[in-house]
Amino acid sequence: MIQPSEIEAELLAFLRRDIFSPETNLTADTDLVAAGFDSMSLVKLLLHVETKYGRWIPESEITNEALASVHTLAATAAKVLNEK
Amino acid sequence: MNLTELLENSARRWPQKTAFVEDSSEISYAALAGKNNFFAEKLKSLRLPAGARVGLCFPNSVNYVALTYALWKINAIVVPVPTECPAEELSEIAATMELAAILSQKPSAQSEPLAPEIFVSRFKLAATPDNHGLNIAFIRFTSGTTNARKGVVLCHETVRARVAAANQAFQITEHDTVIWCLPMAHHFLITIVLYLNAGATVVLARHLTARPFLEAVNRWRGTVLYAAPFHFSLLARDNSGAQIDSVRLAVATTCALPQNVAEDFFRRFGQPLVPALGIIELGLVAINIDDPRGRWNSVGKPLADFRVKIISPDEHGVGEIAVAGPGICDAYAAPWQSRENLLRDGWFITGDLGKMDAEGFLFLLSRKTAVINLAGRKVFPEEIESVLNRHPSVAESRVFGRLHPQLGEVVEAEIVLSAENGGIENLSHFCREHLAAYKIPARFHVVPALPRTPATGKIRRAPAAA
Repeated sequence: MIQPSEIEAELLAFLRRDIFSPETNLTADTDLVAAGFDSMSLVKLLLHVETKYGRWIPESEITNEALASVHTLAATAAKVLNEK
Repeated sequence: MNLTELLENSARRWPQKTAFVEDSSEISYAALAGKNNFFAEKLKSLRLPAGARVGLCFPNSVNYVALTYALWKINAIVVPVPTECPAEELSEIAATMELAAILSQKPSAQSEPLAPEIFVSRFKLAATPDNHGLNIAFIRFTSGTTNARKGVVLCHETVRARVAAANQAFQITEHDTVIWCLPMAHHFLITIVLYLNAGATVVLARHLTARPFLEAVNRWRGTVLYAAPFHFSLLARDNSGAQIDSVRLAVATTCALPQNVAEDFFRRFGQPLVPALGIIELGLVAINIDDPRGRWNSVGKPLADFRVKIISPDEHGVGEIAVAGPGICDAYAAPWQSRENLLRDGWFITGDLGKMDAEGFLFLLSRKTAVINLAGRKVFPEEIESVLNRHPSVAESRVFGRLHPQLGEVVEAEIVLSAENGGIENLSHFCREHLAAYKIPARFHVVPALPRTPATGKIRRAPAAA
C-alpha cells in the first residue's frame, strides 16, 4: 500500500527538478496547467511514475480533474498503484 | 520563388475561409495574410540582411505561423527553436547556426519588444553566414555524428516540391479541417505549410486530455488528425463514448506505431490509424493509406514520385533503405555539405534498416539514424551524450530509444562510470540545467562498457530496443 502523501512528495520533487523552472513556486495545490504543464510534461510524468513504481497510469485516468494539481495527480496515481 | 506567395494565393482564393481556430476564435485567410504583412513590416525595421538566419522560439500559435511567413517575406531564413530549450542550449544554437536574431514570445535579459508578445534578441555576427547562393527558407538543426549540430537546409523550391509530393497522398483540400496538437517547432512544412496551401482549416488543440480533444474534433467537424502514438493512445482509452465520425484520415507519425495503440484505437473508433514515414532530410516518404488494418506495422508504399530501394539485402530481404525523390534537402549547414555530397549516385542513404514485401509495402525494422521520437519531439542522442559525458561520474555514455507500448519510443541512457565515480543520483538534475526537459533520459543504466564497432571503434548506435 503506497500512501498518496508519499507519491505527492515524489511527484513534487520530480516536477520541481525535471519540469518546472525554479521560479515556479510549485506546491501540491498549484494549478498545473496554468503553471505551464503541457502534453510533454504529462508524458514525462507518466514515464516517471512507470519507472519509479513499475506501472503505467492508464490514459483513461487522465482527466481534467486528475490534472488539476499535484495533490489530485497523486491521489489518482495512488488509486492505480494500489489496485491489485 | 518564395513560400509567402503560397499563403498570399490562398488568401486571394479563400479570403473569408477560416485558416486557424485558436482558443475558439476563428482567423480567416485574409486576416492571416494581414498579420503576415504587419509582422513583415515590423521585421523590416530590424534591417536584417537578405539570407539572415533567424531563430523562432514560440509555442503553437497563429503568431508562430504568421511570423514564419513574415520572415520568408523579408527573405530571412527560419530556424525553429523549441520553446523548452534552456538558455545554454539557446546560445549554442545561436552560435552554431550563426543566427542574426531570435524571436520569442517571452522576454529575455537582452531582448527588446517588437510587437505585442513578440520579443527580439539580436546577435552580433562577424559576417553574414555564407548561404552558397541558395534561396533558403528553413534550417532545421539535427545532431551530427560528432557532437556538433548540423542543420538540414531547405530552399523555398524544395519545400514546395515536398508539399506537392506529400499532398498527393494526404489529398488535403479546402474542405478539410485538421485538428493539430504536435509542436510546430518540430513539425511544420509537410503539415502547416501544406494545409495552408490547400486552403484547409487548422484547429490548434491545446488539450491535455482526451475528452476536450474529442469535443474539439466534433465541434469543428475535424476531418484529419495528425499526431504521435501517445496522443492516439490517450484518445483510444477515452470512455466517454464520443465518436469521431467526421474524421477521414488519422495519421500516426513520428515513430513506430505500437500494435496495442493501433488495435485499441480501431476498437474504440472503428477507424484505422495510418502509419507514415517522415525523414528530416526527405519529407514524407511513405504512408500506409492502402492497408493500415492488415499491415498496421508497415509505413506503406512510397509516395508516387519517390523511389525506394533496399541496399545489400540479407537472406530475409533486410537492408539499408535508400530513397530518391522530390524535396531532398539542399545541404547540411554546419559544417556546410552540399546536396551532391550527401547523396550517393542520386540516392539518400537513410541509415534505417528495412524490407519491402512483394506488393511494395515498406517495413521499417530499425532506425540506424539515431533520432528518437518522444511523443512528437525529436531527440538526438549525441546531444544528450555530450551533456552526460561532462558529468564527473560519467566516463562515457550511450543514449538510445526504447520501445514503449504507449509512447512508441522513450529516451534511456547507458552510463559507464568514471574512476572518480561520485554517484549519479543528481544526473537528471544535471541534465535539466543543460537540456530541455523532454530530452532527459527516463532511465539510466550503469554498464561496464559500451558496444563498439570493430572497424572504427565508434560507439555502436543501438536500434530501438524492446
